[in-house]
This record gives sequence, C-alpha cells and structure tokens, in this order.
Amino acid sequence: MATLAVTRPLAVRRVGTWLGKIPYAVLAIYALVAAIGPLVIDYNPISTSLDDRLLKPGSHLSTGGTAWLGTDGLGRDVLAQVVYGARTSILIGIATVVVSCVVGVTIGTVAGYFRGWLDTFLARGIDILLAFPAILLTIVIAGAFERSVPVVVIALAATAWISFARVTRSVSLSLRERAWVDAARVLGVRRTSILLRHVVPFTIGPVVALATLEFALVVLAEAGLSFLGIGLPPSAVSWGQTIANGKQYLDSAWWISALPGIALSLLIVNIGILGDQLTARYGRGHLN
Amino acid sequence: MIPLTRRAALTLGVAATMALSACSSATNGGSSSSGGGEVVIAGTYPVDSIDPGGPQGGGTGPQMVEQQLFSRLVRTKTDGSVEGDLATSWKSDATAKTWTFTLRKGVKFSDGKELKAADVADSFKRFIDLKGTNAANFPDYTMTAPSDDTVVLTASKPDAAIPRKLAVFFVLPSGVGANDTAFFDKPVGTGPFKLDKFSPNEIVLVPNPQYYGGAPKVTKVTIKKMPELAARLTALRTGEADVVWGIPDDQLPEVQKDSTLNVQIVQSSAVYTMWFNSSTPALKDAAVRRALWEAVDFPTIIKKLYPQTGSLSDSVVSKQTLGYVAQTPVKYDPVAAKAALTAAGFDFGTKLRLQFANAEFQQFNQAVVSDLQKIGVQVDLLQKEQAVFTKDLLALNWDINFQQLSNPMLDAANTVGRLYPCAAKRNGYCNPALDKLISQAAASTDEQERVKLYGEAEKIIWDDAVGMFPMAVKYAYAWNKRLSGFTPDPNGLPDFSKLQVNS
Amino acid sequence: MIRVVVKRLLIGVLVMWGAASLIFLIVRVAPGDPVSILLGPDATQDQVKELSASLGLQRPLAVQYVDYLGHAVRLDFGDSYRLGHPAMSEVLERLPATAELMLASTLIAVVLGLTLGLLAGGRPGSVVDRVVSAAAIALQSFPTFWIGIMLILVFALALRLLPSSGSGTPQHLILPAITMALPFTAIVARLTRTSVAETLREPYIQTAKSKGLTDRQVLLGHALRNSLLPVVTIVGLHMGGLMGGAVIVENVFSWPGLGSLVVDSVTNRDYEVVQAATFVIAGIVMLFNLAADLVYSQLDPRIRLEGS
Repeated sequence: MATLAVTRPLAVRRVGTWLGKIPYAVLAIYALVAAIGPLVIDYNPISTSLDDRLLKPGSHLSTGGTAWLGTDGLGRDVLAQVVYGARTSILIGIATVVVSCVVGVTIGTVAGYFRGWLDTFLARGIDILLAFPAILLTIVIAGAFERSVPVVVIALAATAWISFARVTRSVSLSLRERAWVDAARVLGVRRTSILLRHVVPFTIGPVVALATLEFALVVLAEAGLSFLGIGLPPSAVSWGQTIANGKQYLDSAWWISALPGIALSLLIVNIGILGDQLTARYGRGHLN
Repeated sequence: MIPLTRRAALTLGVAATMALSACSSATNGGSSSSGGGEVVIAGTYPVDSIDPGGPQGGGTGPQMVEQQLFSRLVRTKTDGSVEGDLATSWKSDATAKTWTFTLRKGVKFSDGKELKAADVADSFKRFIDLKGTNAANFPDYTMTAPSDDTVVLTASKPDAAIPRKLAVFFVLPSGVGANDTAFFDKPVGTGPFKLDKFSPNEIVLVPNPQYYGGAPKVTKVTIKKMPELAARLTALRTGEADVVWGIPDDQLPEVQKDSTLNVQIVQSSAVYTMWFNSSTPALKDAAVRRALWEAVDFPTIIKKLYPQTGSLSDSVVSKQTLGYVAQTPVKYDPVAAKAALTAAGFDFGTKLRLQFANAEFQQFNQAVVSDLQKIGVQVDLLQKEQAVFTKDLLALNWDINFQQLSNPMLDAANTVGRLYPCAAKRNGYCNPALDKLISQAAASTDEQERVKLYGEAEKIIWDDAVGMFPMAVKYAYAWNKRLSGFTPDPNGLPDFSKLQVNS
Repeated sequence: MIRVVVKRLLIGVLVMWGAASLIFLIVRVAPGDPVSILLGPDATQDQVKELSASLGLQRPLAVQYVDYLGHAVRLDFGDSYRLGHPAMSEVLERLPATAELMLASTLIAVVLGLTLGLLAGGRPGSVVDRVVSAAAIALQSFPTFWIGIMLILVFALALRLLPSSGSGTPQHLILPAITMALPFTAIVARLTRTSVAETLREPYIQTAKSKGLTDRQVLLGHALRNSLLPVVTIVGLHMGGLMGGAVIVENVFSWPGLGSLVVDSVTNRDYEVVQAATFVIAGIVMLFNLAADLVYSQLDPRIRLEGS
C-alpha cells in the first residue's frame, strides 16, 4: 500500500495525447462530484430508514426514490455514501498533503541549505521514522487518540512529510552551490530571502509531482484506517467505513463493500497515472 | 558470479513449483476435521488466560473454559435457579451474613487428590486477594473451613444474593500462587475436563476421569479462536466447527436453512440499557428523560434489526432474573414527546453525547439517534474504544450511555442493587427512597420479599427513566446435528460435559 | 566491508533507540489507560490507585522512560496487562504467522513479478507489455483491504473454494498471501520489465543474437540475470511495506500474526505489547534494509557501500 512511488517512470509518456488527458478528466469528475454532489444529493448519515435495509442496486425506496447503488444495513443510500465519501477523502487528502508539504519543504530546504548538525539530525530522524512501516505509525497514532478528523490528518502527515523533506533537501543541497545563490549570499541578501526567493521556487516542480503521488497514498491510508475502525468518527462518511460496514453482508449484499471500493480504486489509479506523468515531466530532485 | 545466479534461478524455479503445488492442493477444499468423539467449538470471545482469579478471569471467554476445568460451590442452571456443584447444601443465619456450605463427599481433583474444605477456603482467599473483576462482588468477605466438608462464608454486610454470586467463584487446589503460570500450564481441577493444550488460537480439553459426575463421553473438545463472524459461520457450514453462537439476525436465516444444523434461540440475561446522565443539566428532569424514551420507536427498530434475537424489554432486568417484575411499557409517541420536551423547557440546541463501545451495537444506536433527530433532538453518536469508554463511563463523561448489561448471577442484586444506589454514582441519579428499597432487598432472606422489594425499586427506575431499557436480548446458538446433549446457555457459557457425538 | 557493517549496525542501534522512544512518547500522551480496562467499571478509587502503583504508572514520566529503556535493551518490555505474560513472548508467539505470510507473499510476488516482467520487457510495446503495465498500475492502486474482501467474496463465498479467514491449514494461507502479494508483484514486474528492456538494448545482446542465440536464451540467460539484482534489493527494501500490508491484511482475514496483535493492543491500550511489537517490527525492517544493501554490494562489484 505504501509503495506506490517506488518505480514509476514507465511507458505512460508514449500513450497518445488524448489518452493522456483521461486522468485529468476523471479527476475533474471526482472533484466536481465531491464539490457539487452533496448539493444535489441529500444525505444525512444520521438518519436511517429501516424499511429500506439491504436493497439491491436499482431498487425503489419506501420514500419513492431509487437506490441506484443499493442501500446498506441501515437503509442508507450507497450512492450518496460514495458521493459524500469522495468529498471526505479528497478533503482529508488535500489537508494532509498541505500539512506534510509545508512541514516537509520547510525542514528539507533548511536542512539541505544549512547542512551541518541540523542535516544530520534530520537524516537520523528520518531513518527512525522509516524504520516503521508508514501505516503502522499512523495506526499507533490514530488508534491511541480519540477518533476525529484532525487526529487522522496528523497521523497521516506524521509519515507523509518525509518524502517532501527528502526531495527538497536534495534539491536545495545542489542549489546552494549554484552561482546565483552564491552571488546572493555574497551580496548579503538575508538567508530567509535566499531560501524563499532562490531555493524554494526550484523545488515546486518535483514537489507538485510528489504531492500527487502522496495524495493517492494518503487517500488509501485514510480508507485503510477507517476500515480498521480507528480513523474517522462514525458521523463522517468515508469509503473505508462503508467498505468495512459491508463486510458482514458480503454473502447477501455485496454492493455495500464492492462499489465504494471501485470508486476508491478508480480515483487512485488515475492519480497514479497523473503522478507518473508529472514525475516524468518535472523529475523528483536528484537524490531519492 | 554466474554460478550464484544459476543457483538463484534454480531456487526460483523450485519456489515456483512449490507455490503452484500449494495452490493445487488447496483447491481440494476443507476436509472436515473432527471425527470420532471430537467436538470443535468456535469461540466468539478471546481466551487469553484461564486463571479464574486473574485480571481477565472474569471475562466471558475465560469463564467458559474455566467452568469446564474447575468446579464451583454452586452454579446457575439455564432456567435461572441455583444448583449445587461442589456444595450439596447451604444455609445462612438469620441476618444473611454468615453462610455455611456442606461439600460433596468423595470429590477428587484430576490428579487424584481428594478435595478438602481447606482447598475451597484457600481458593476463595486467592480469588479475593487477586482482586479480579468478579472479586468486587465480595468486599471484605472471608471464608473459613471449620471441618473437612464445610466452609463458612462471612459477608461484611447482609447479603441474601450470596449463592448466586458464588457462581463466578472457581475452586482450585490449595497452594496456587498469584501468578502461577506453571500451575495454569497444567492445571489441576475438579471439573469435567482436563486441559490438554492451551494456545491463543486453540484450547484442547480432554475428559477428566476423576470428575464426580462421571467423565464426559466425548474424547476431545477443541475451542478454536474465531473472532470473525464470517469465519465462524463458514466453519460451521463446512463442518470445521460444531458449535457456534452469537449469530446476528442478518445471518440467522442462512444458518436456519441449513439442514445439517440445529438452531436454537435462548433468552439471555442481557438487557440493552441506555442510561441518561441525570446529573447533566439538560437531563435533570425526569419528564425530559421520559419524553426522550417516548420519542424512539423501539418496537420498529427491534422488529427490523433484531427480528429473532430481540424483544421489547418490560423491566430493568431480564425475565429469568430473580427480582424481575414487569413494568408498564413506554409507548412510542413522537408528538407527545416533542410536546413534553417543549413543556419542560428542553433546549433543542444542546447536543447530547451518546457513547457506546462495540461495533456490533452501531446500527441499533444509529437508529436511536435517527429517531431522536426526527423530533429535533441532536445527538452525537460516539463509538469509543473499550478503554476510553470505561474511563468516560465512570467519569460520567456522557449524556446517554449504551451498554448491553448481562447478569450472569441472575439476581437483581447484581444490577439494581449494584448500579442504582446514590453511592454507586453510575448515572447521576440519586433517590433516597430507592436506596432504602435496595438495602432492604439485600438484607432479606425471603425470596418472595426480595422480589417484591426489587420490583418496587424497578418501578422507580423505570418511571423516572433513569435510563431506557428497550430490549431483552436472546442468543442464537447453532450446532451440528451430529451432536447431542448440547444445551444453549443464557449467558453464553454452555456446558460441554453432556456432549455426545452420534455416529 | 566489516567496518561498514559495524557502522551500519551502530546507526541501526540509534534508530532502534529512536523508535523505542517515539512509541513510548505516543503511547504515554494518548488518553485512556489500562487500569480502567483491567478493573472494569466497578472498581473503587483505592483499587485504581493500588493497581496504577503496582503497574508503575504513577512514577514521573522520566523515571518510567529510563526504566523502560533499561529493560528494552534486554528485550524486556514488561508483562502485557491483558494477557498476563511477558509482552515480548506474546510478540514472538505471533511472529511466525506473520513471517509465514510474508514469506509466502514474497515468493508469489517474486515468481509472478519476474515472469510478468520478463514477458512484458521481452517485447516492449507489445500487447502483453501494455496489459502487464496497465495491470501493474491497477494492482498498485487498489486498496489491499478491498482486494482482500473481493477475493473473499469470489473465492470463499461465491465459489466456496477457500476459507474466508482464520489460519491453520495451507488453504487458509492462500487468500491473505495473494492479497499481500499483488501490489508487491506489480512492483517486481515493473522493475523487471524496465531492467529487461534496458538489457535488450545493450550492444552485446545484439551481438549474441546475431551469433544465433535464441530470444529465449537471451531472456533467461542475460536479461533475467540482470534483473535479479534490483529484484533482490527491492525485496529487502520492501519488507517495511510488506509489514505494513500485513497489518491490514491480517485484520481482513483474522490472521493471528503481529499485525492484528498491534491493532488489538493499540485499541486496548496494551502499552507493553505495542512497544514490544513495534520494536520487533522496526528491528526486522532495519535488518532487511541492511541485508539488501549488503547483498546489493556483493552482487554488483561496481557498487561500493558507503557509510552514509
């Protein structure tokens, strides 16, 4: 699960131009569904409809509507859960990527630029964090505290910042030797301005590519956490939770687990392809 | 360089063949494991320890195994009455403080040694000293052995419920230490079975030839740990397991269709108990609490979610519990509820926190929250991990608390008497009149009198809506038809000693 | 060489210290405590005090920490309050099940991944190549727990071929091992494909071919050998990822290994077991990483291990 980024650069570049646009289109649809869907489809995770329990996809509801993707064990619409789950996943993904990006880029740039004990300290700290499988540390953090959105974001960001730090560190390590950076230093430009104006901008390309891949990993990890029942509170709608809820009905109501999983997988596949394209275009810094 | 690579390639080849053959052998499917007189039980609850005095000893899982290995002075029958196990008779003095038990003659431990009263008294001391969960029922109680076949239990205050309470006390030989792993690796007991193997995944029991009731007929009972419901049911259908219980309603029809299985649903001692925190300002008023109860359509929820294993409860305790008296049902009436809340000045802006601990109760609680929301009462549903739940429960850090309250002692003393006095501080409710009834009931040695007094106490609890008591719980048991002599147990603690395998 | 290994091991010790400290910190900051679970809801105030004292939970945090490290050095993480015996022995008892699962899935991933990679890399741009590449992307993107559930749905419930969960027989191993192996297979396949495609572009291969070597001989003789190096390395480096996968897969299939132990212990606030388990996992991951580095340098003389 945590290995999406190991070996990306592949044949994707060769795929035809319109094929290459597919990920953009799919992601746009997801974004649109996440943004507008909740306005169109009314769904309240709290309200249950016991007369409509475990209906097949396409069944008619007691309220007169149609459950296109069926209903769950409490008579709640699965389609609505997929739509609201998209919003939850995307919001948590963005929040986590932003947090880990800010933390990672700051630490990486500073460590790479100043080197010395700070850099060594960072390198060892990263070694320690990498000794745990990412998901394990996330589970320990998320499981130890009360279930809530901020806890999930922090637990996910606790390992996600590392890749950002490593990439920006290697970029700034090479940048600090460049002539224009030297020039700025000689001219007496303040260190913060050098960092912000001459170093950070160069990390943007690889960081964007990385952010895409990290976003996919984070969304997967969040679903995994919710699946284990240690992620979001039950009042939040999450794909992982819906899949977990459906596990006891695999025999009789497969759609509860199967359909949100397809939605999730489709999103991840497309982000993965997009991430590949971005990586191929912008690279990921020199060291890895 | 090259030879190394060759070897690696060779290894790969071998590995591939191995993997393939593993696949092909696996498709032959699961052959049924238990032949002859062997029985496999699919365990619902983890059994991490079989020390009856230890911290885990009082749990349902451990207790189920302990009762096969160790006998008790008395035990409760499935109908709720008490019968002698190691004791043949017992009586108390007039104040119900001193209880004398006469022991069965000629009982031997599985190692052949004779059971002495000193063994019982020492076991009781160990049980109290170790302060396991069940020891809390006997605060400062002491047991002595005045002769080889009598023990005397002295309570710190009058306690008429002692015989039932003792159903959780198991007798070991004298001299077992506090953390005596050596003993519990090869335990010696007076129960129907001996321990053959103990591992986290599997416990194997074999008949104890010394058992006073005669050695069980089966040759082997294996309790396999299967925490997943799906795994238990699949195992039951393939014949991998012979007995499964705790089957939820959604899966029950499928099991009932299977012609190789017996299915029986028994009334348990458990009642869904949803306390209101009466110390919360919003819930201080009994009228508000009653209105909230009225606002939930429990009959429909039970009919839809628990068509077979649930029924509307009509008291604080279950029917077979000593002290049960039926109360007037609360009718579902959302309009009246809303009116009553408005009249009582209930602030619809407050969010009530409903806490519960176990995923299996999620649907029920969500349905309750949904109904409350319909009349404008907002509830935050909080599923908590056991540790946090328990801590918050004691700290009264909740507004509504859901629990499935079991009462393995089948005596109202254990629920009404223990949880509702002011001093218990369990739900913020305090009523001196209730306290008085409860202490009178505990001190009375006359069963009729106790039932009457507990009934009056239950009426106060019910009418003041200290909590909602929506559902009486039944347990669904399913077992393979090749077994006979299996009796489902209302507390999820079935006895295996009468089991027989039909050929 | 030996100096490098020693230096690596010293860094490893530092990492283990950091890992142990980090988990200690997280676990102590978290709310909820074992005392209330142990005693249940009926405990008196005195019982709570007495038990916390006997568990050493009332001492200052620094004292607890030093004590903890002192014992951790001897691999002693105390007794699990829940299970009554040493936490480390519980962890070691669960370790074989996880090892079995990891071994099986590594085998599947390597065999299947190498085969697919060879097929795809042997004819870059072919239909086979496209299918394998697309499948690899998909396999890496699907959430493991969902794949597991779908496999249960198909093979256990619909076809009734395999048990849906539990352990004990070889049949029980198949579904969890495959679930864990699939994303790993994708990694191995992509890696092999790249390496094979690169090898085939080498001039010496063209020479060999012109001398009459068949495609098959080229693939198995040269291309496969060249791709073994990166594959061996990735197996070592991926042990962490595999462990992470095990945490989820073991829960899907109720596999009685380290992963399900960790989740159980975390939710039950079984501090001692969480610490012992994470320590062991971190140790294993570290050793595999080290082994991968060493094997890599042994297999490829061009690479010399460096200290950092």
